[in-house]
Amino acid sequence: MKQTIYLMAIREALDEEMERDEKVFIIGENVQQGTFGTTSTLVQKFGPERVMDTPLAETAVAGAAVGAAMAGFRPVADMMFADFMYIAGDEIMIKAAKWHFLHGGKVSVPLVLMAAMGGGMKIGAEHSMCPESIIMHTAGLKLAIPSTPYDAKGLLKTAIRDNNPVVFFYHKGLLGVPGEIPEEEYLVPFGQADVKREGSDVTVVATSRMVHLSLAVAEELKDKVSVEVIDPRTLEPLDIDTIIASVKKTGRVVVADEDNRRCGVTSEIGMQIMEKGFDYLDAPVQRVAAADLPIASGFMEEHILPQPKDIVAAIEAVAT
Amino acid sequence: MELKKEQLINLYTLMVRTRKLDELTIKGLQEGKVLAFYHSGQGSEALAVGAIAFLRPDDYAWGHHRGHGIGYLLAKGADGKEFLAEHYGKATGSCLGVSGFHYADPELGVLGAAGTIGSVFPISLGWGLAAKKNKRQQVMVSVFGDGGSNRGTLHEAFNLSSVWKLPIVWICDNNGMAQFMPIKDAYAREDIADLAAGYDMPGVVVDGMDVLAVQEAVQAAVARARAGDGPSLVEAKTIRYRSHSEGSPDVVHNQPRSEEKIEAWKKRDPIESFKAKLLEQGMLTEADVDKINQEADAEMAEIEKFCTDSPPPDVSVLEKLLYAE
Ligand SMILES: Cc1ncc(C[n+]2csc(CCOP(=O)(O)OP(=O)(O)O)c2C)c(N)n1
Repeated sequence: MKQTIYLMAIREALDEEMERDEKVFIIGENVQQGTFGTTSTLVQKFGPERVMDTPLAETAVAGAAVGAAMAGFRPVADMMFADFMYIAGDEIMIKAAKWHFLHGGKVSVPLVLMAAMGGGMKIGAEHSMCPESIIMHTAGLKLAIPSTPYDAKGLLKTAIRDNNPVVFFYHKGLLGVPGEIPEEEYLVPFGQADVKREGSDVTVVATSRMVHLSLAVAEELKDKVSVEVIDPRTLEPLDIDTIIASVKKTGRVVVADEDNRRCGVTSEIGMQIMEKGFDYLDAPVQRVAAADLPIASGFMEEHILPQPKDIVAAIEAVAT
Repeated sequence: MELKKEQLINLYTLMVRTRKLDELTIKGLQEGKVLAFYHSGQGSEALAVGAIAFLRPDDYAWGHHRGHGIGYLLAKGADGKEFLAEHYGKATGSCLGVSGFHYADPELGVLGAAGTIGSVFPISLGWGLAAKKNKRQQVMVSVFGDGGSNRGTLHEAFNLSSVWKLPIVWICDNNGMAQFMPIKDAYAREDIADLAAGYDMPGVVVDGMDVLAVQEAVQAAVARARAGDGPSLVEAKTIRYRSHSEGSPDVVHNQPRSEEKIEAWKKRDPIESFKAKLLEQGMLTEADVDKINQEADAEMAEIEKFCTDSPPPDVSVLEKLLYAE
């Protein structure tokens, strides 16, 4: 094992996959420099034809990735901020998502759309969204949201090799998070949740940055309640079985995610638990999510985004 | 390019087949066999055929939504059976009966069709980018309507295609109408080809009723693209004979479209005028014309029977189609 950080793990995945398969290329705004460092330095190794800087044109970036993918390449389109993916809604949610299905399976769209999501930087409503639910909602898109360097590298490599469109959301607030990864090559399969902490009283299903907040809360509460923290790692496919197995053990569950509450990821996971695990529940499912408001900036941000105290409150509500 | 006799006859034959398949699709709709809707392409056969007939098999083509791409598809070598069977919702359709009216045949370079107007631009950009990366001198021919030209997607894609010198031929089918909206109220200039200058690419206007004029302009643009000199824009002036879609009112805003204008254009019908020219030049005899018509009629009868006889898809295809293996 070696020590690394989240953003370096992402860069390593790109590096290894570009090395392995010459059909892989990166396309996006300022990717040669890399806005978040995830694509930095790759141009020195692979050249500007494979690390393609584009003008400010999200529709063209996503559209070009879709077209090139259909024609046999494996583009990784960096959309920079996840918020900007709305600009290319047709290309992402209609073309990438539906064209394999729509055309009777005759064409496929093997691409990765990666983008930085999430709040914590106080940069407001158009730079802090977690548009997970809209992607999860769209049939035909897979969705990976890693919380650790290990998961980030392994999931991104899997995403690049997948023959379908995969959205890979990395969290801005996790870029510097340290962690260990193997020296040798590895992949993290889609649809396999990871039990980040074992516990017996309450299950917390947490995604992305919420995993870290939940782990901290679990540690803080350890003398009072034993909290199990499960990270689904991919939301489509979603490993509901691992979640239900944990609920069977604890009987109590909190779902924590940073997308808005209404029709968000927490609603979907909570409802699936109702459908498949109702008999195991000893208390109503609690959810922790962003308020149903745009993400405010500055001092107001913390009143919108889910906070550790909200996770504590939810755990206490189900545990008693 | 000086065309040989058989090439001229091929162009004529393709246009005849295009018109007849269009008529057959309308018939299917009227009989309730075509399940979705249909946007007839009558009046733009010369553009479809002239633009596509001389491409290489491995060139990419995006046909216009008008006529649901019939002329473009037939000219690229597609099978009319799969085209109509898809409209019939049958398992033998081009997209297994799940698309209703789209077509895909990767082996012919027809990678897909779209329902959102204007999405042609960014996706074609990607196909053009792939063509350039493949380094096999492939070209991408991408057709859009005057209505589509109003989308902002055009700017991003035109600009990048030119900056990256992609082998793309952008073709505008300017029939003057976008559903009920006349182009004169949607665009400030006369010619859409004028846009090309802003992207530093050649832009030409051709008579879209003249298959040879279309063919010549498109071939020049194709040659430029193959040589690595980048994209071009060819605007063809055409007309839409019928209403926007079968059964919808034929209006400009909310007033009936001028019958006289349509009749005047019909006097220059692309199929009839090309036939007259070929007869006059002795390239074609009345007997040849009869034979071409009869063969096309036989083909249509076969297509219709095939579609009627084909089974509907099994519902199990749905789950299987969501993701590629
Ligand atoms: C994004 C989008 N907006 C609107 C429509 C509805 N629509 C379908 S065809 C059409 C007219 C298109 O006009 P044009 O591009 O000039 O092509 P034409 O029909 O004249 O051949 C419209 C408005 C659509 N399919 N997609």
